[in-house]
Amino acid sequence: MNSPVFQVFDELLRSPRAVAERSRAGGDLRPLFVAALSALVLGAGVFGATLATSRGGLQLLYSGVKLPLAMVATMLLVVPAFHAIAAGLGRPLSFSGMIGLSLAAAGRGALVLVALSPLIWLSFDRGLSYHPGVLLAAGCYALAGLAALDLVLRGVGFHARGFVIVTLFAGVLLTTGGQTAWMLRPFLGRPSDASVPFFRPRESSFWDALQQSSWSSVGVYRATRRLSAAEQRLTGPRVEAPDESR
Amino acid sequence: MEQSLPNISSAAPPSLGARLTSSETQSARHELARLGAGLGLAALYGLALGARSGGMALVEHAIAASAGLTAVGVLGMPALFVLLALVNAPVSPLAMLSAGACSLASAGFVLAGLAPSVALLAVTIESPEAAAFVTRAGLTLAGGIGLYQLTSAVRATLKGLSPTLRFKCNALLFGFCVFAIMLAARVWYALPILKGVA
Repeated sequence: MNSPVFQVFDELLRSPRAVAERSRAGGDLRPLFVAALSALVLGAGVFGATLATSRGGLQLLYSGVKLPLAMVATMLLVVPAFHAIAAGLGRPLSFSGMIGLSLAAAGRGALVLVALSPLIWLSFDRGLSYHPGVLLAAGCYALAGLAALDLVLRGVGFHARGFVIVTLFAGVLLTTGGQTAWMLRPFLGRPSDASVPFFRPRESSFWDALQQSSWSSVGVYRATRRLSAAEQRLTGPRVEAPDESR
Repeated sequence: MEQSLPNISSAAPPSLGARLTSSETQSARHELARLGAGLGLAALYGLALGARSGGMALVEHAIAASAGLTAVGVLGMPALFVLLALVNAPVSPLAMLSAGACSLASAGFVLAGLAPSVALLAVTIESPEAAAFVTRAGLTLAGGIGLYQLTSAVRATLKGLSPTLRFKCNALLFGFCVFAIMLAARVWYALPILKGVA
C-alpha cells in the first residue's frame, strides 16, 4: 500500500467529514477504495476470528474468512438501494461516489470492530456462554454500524432529509446484512457440534434467530418452528437445548 | 443545518438516478421515456421476487410489480389533473406528465435499487410470511418516495396562490395520495409472493 492509501486509512478514523466530502466530490477515488476495502477485509477478518475463539481450531480460519465475505457481499447488495433512495429523496450523487461512501463507511465500521475484538476475546475467555455471546457480538455490530452510518450521514448531509435517507438505508442494510451473515454462519460455532462445518443448512431467518437468542440468553428455550404442527402433535414441541445455537 | 452539495452536473454528466428523479420539466417525449424507464426498472424488483419460485413466477412478479405503478399513472394522474384544473390550479398537462413521470420513475428506480437485496432475502428466507413482509416493506418504501416526488412537484406549482386555492389543491393531493396507495396496494396484492403461494 502506498502513502495516499495510508493517509485515507488515517482519515477514516480521524476525519470522516473529509472522507465523505472526497466521496461526494468524485475525482480519483482509487486510494479511498483500496484503503476502505483493506480496512474492511482486515477488520472484519480479525473480528470474525476473535468471535471464533469461543470454539477455536478450524472455526478461527472459517470465521476470519466468512465475516469479511459477508460484509463485502452486503455492500454489493445495498449500494444500489442507497443510490436509489438518495436519488429518490433529492440527493442524487454519482454511483462511484456512493460506492466510495459506502465502502468508506464499511471500512470505518470494520475498524471499530477491531477495536472491540479484545472485549469479545476477554468475554469468551472469562467463560461467556454462547447466547449472551451472540448478543454481545450483535451489540458490537450495532456500535460499528453507528460509526459507519455517521460517515454516511456526513456524505448525504446533516439535515432532516439526510437523516431520513440514512434511516431508510440503515433499514435496508440491517435486513440485508443480517440475512447475508445468517447464510454464511456459523461464526461462533455450535458448542454441541463434534466437527466444524463451513456453512450450516438454511434454517428460518436471521430475525427468527436473533429473537430466539434473546429469549435463550435469559434462560427461555422456546420450541423451534422447524417441526410441523402435525409432528409436534405426535412428538411434542422440540425444545431447544441450552447449548444449541444457530 | 443544510449543507450545500457539490454540483455534480457541472463536473460530470448526471447519473441515471439524477436524470430519472429530476424535477425539471422536459419535452413530452423525454417524459414518456422517463416514465417507461421507471416502469421497466420496477419490473426488476418483480424479477427479484420471482426468483423465490423461479420459472413463470419471474414473469408474473415482474408484470405485477410494474402494473401497480402503471395503474397509478394511467388511472390516477389524469384524474388528478382534471380535479386540479377544476379548482383553477395553474397546472398544465405537460407539467402533470412531468410530475407523474418523475414520481413513477423515482419509485421504479428505488424498486430497482432494492432488487439485489430483495433477491437475496426472497430466495433465502424460508418463512412465506417473512418474505411477504420484506416485499411489502420494499413496495411501501418505493411507493412512499414516489408520492413524495409527486407531491413535491405539484406543490412547487402552488407557490403564490391564495390560501383558499392552495388549501383546495392540498386537499386534492391528499385525496389522490390515499387513492394511489389503495390502488397500488390492490394491484400489488396480485403478487403471488404476497399471497404466500410463492
